[in-house]
Amino acid sequence: MANQERFAEEGEWFDLTPAEKKLIGWSLGLGIALLGILVWISYTVIPVQH
Amino acid sequence: MSQETTASRSPLFKTEDWWAVWLGLFIFALGLLKLAGVDVIGWVVKTSVWLDLSKALAPASKAYQGMPGIISLILTYLFLLLVTAIGAYSMGARVGRYITGFTLIFWITYACWIIGSYGYIAATPDQLAKLGIPWSLRLTGEAGFIIALIAGLLLGNLWPGFTRAVEEAVKPEWFIKTAIVILGATIGLKACQSTGLAGQVVFRGFCAIVEAYLIYWPIVYFISRKYFRFTPEWAAPLASGISICGVSAAIATGGAIKARPVVPVIVSSLVIIFAVVELIILPFAAQAWLYHEPMVAGAWMGLAVKTDGAAAASGALVDALIRSKAATALGVQWQEGWMLMAATTVKVFIDIFIAVWAFILAIIWSYSIDRRPGEKISASVIWERFPKFILGYAATFAILLLIGSGMTKETLKTLQAGVGQADAFRGIFFALTFFTIGLVSNFKKLKEEGMGRLAVVYLICLFGFIIWIGLFISWIFFHGITPPVVG
Repeated sequence: MANQERFAEEGEWFDLTPAEKKLIGWSLGLGIALLGILVWISYTVIPVQH
Repeated sequence: MSQETTASRSPLFKTEDWWAVWLGLFIFALGLLKLAGVDVIGWVVKTSVWLDLSKALAPASKAYQGMPGIISLILTYLFLLLVTAIGAYSMGARVGRYITGFTLIFWITYACWIIGSYGYIAATPDQLAKLGIPWSLRLTGEAGFIIALIAGLLLGNLWPGFTRAVEEAVKPEWFIKTAIVILGATIGLKACQSTGLAGQVVFRGFCAIVEAYLIYWPIVYFISRKYFRFTPEWAAPLASGISICGVSAAIATGGAIKARPVVPVIVSSLVIIFAVVELIILPFAAQAWLYHEPMVAGAWMGLAVKTDGAAAASGALVDALIRSKAATALGVQWQEGWMLMAATTVKVFIDIFIAVWAFILAIIWSYSIDRRPGEKISASVIWERFPKFILGYAATFAILLLIGSGMTKETLKTLQAGVGQADAFRGIFFALTFFTIGLVSNFKKLKEEGMGRLAVVYLICLFGFIIWIGLFISWIFFHGITPPVVG
């Protein structure tokens, strides 16, 4: 019975909360920033050796 | 067992999370005894892709090679029955009913797995020649999981009396968490084996984590929440399943955010199905367009193909296809295995951070997303929420890395054999999970939850950007690197 109640409760959609928006924004921002840094490192500090 | 006895027992011995840790560590420890020259669990059954049924089953260790496969399977069943019954008893289950339930569940699950390993169903393109067959559905050995899920769904929905008869042993969460604890050792072993590889590939493999966790994840989460109207309970495991590595990432995320067990398992089954589609398409696309950039092609397989098995198979396939094309089109013969290594290295790095990501999500969900207005969150709430089996995963990974990193090649081989035996149990726990989750899933409810929408999100994300961003990142980090030339 408890599971049934939880099922219904979790089935209801609600718009993105501020916390979720923050998670998405920070994750993506950090990802893009780190990507830039890692690309820089890979081209300067650890360059490809042919 | 009386309620009083169960209630007075430490939480360390009465929750599935902790019992997953104990059971996983126990099996892992038995596998490690191989290093001391003791082959304690070498009799565990392993299922191979087969055309002749008599060759489907065999003991995992060569030390037991004279043992018939069926005896190995019976021993595996008895061992699992004993250890899980002890755990179930400690958690308050009725042992008699557990034994009956587990027995039925085990044998049906294993039958599904054997069917799923049939050559025409499971063989990947690189195995076709060895088996001497012209085609197969290329579903890999993981097809058994899908068949187990379907069997569970059919039995659960068409014969509810069966589910009631075995319900004491229907413990999908416990099974999958135990499997993930053992998985830590397998990933640790792969990491050990990577330490001797070219530093460039390892560094670039690390870079892949950034993409999988920090770029893929939020985009998939946003799309599923905003445009497909999934709740966080579905969106988070879906994002992890599509972005990171199917089964384990989806389950760990499900645990961290306290999703119902059905959520990550349904996501995982989608991941397995789509991984097959990728396995059929991507290696051939790479051969056509990336034969002059072999390491880009290898890394791309690791980034885009979302299950370990299918990613490794894609890596092996792309390795064979591109080397053959380069020999004719470029007149160069590259050493075998480097593209496969790029694919598996990228995948291993992605897998390693599953525990870290689960921990981060547990904190975010406790502090923000699931927090009710005015509710105070203490460290104990985070601890309570944290999926404890992830500690087991981290422990087996760390132990393996510690003892394996200084080993000689020979000792590492022995360690690999021991871990391989423990890993055979992991496969069985995975299969048990899929069957039992099928038993407790109701078709009607799955439809209500939006199974069709899940598949559409997956399709859009995978072919809309995951494959292309993966190719872009692989190009940035791996272009210009070529394998050594033969001779």
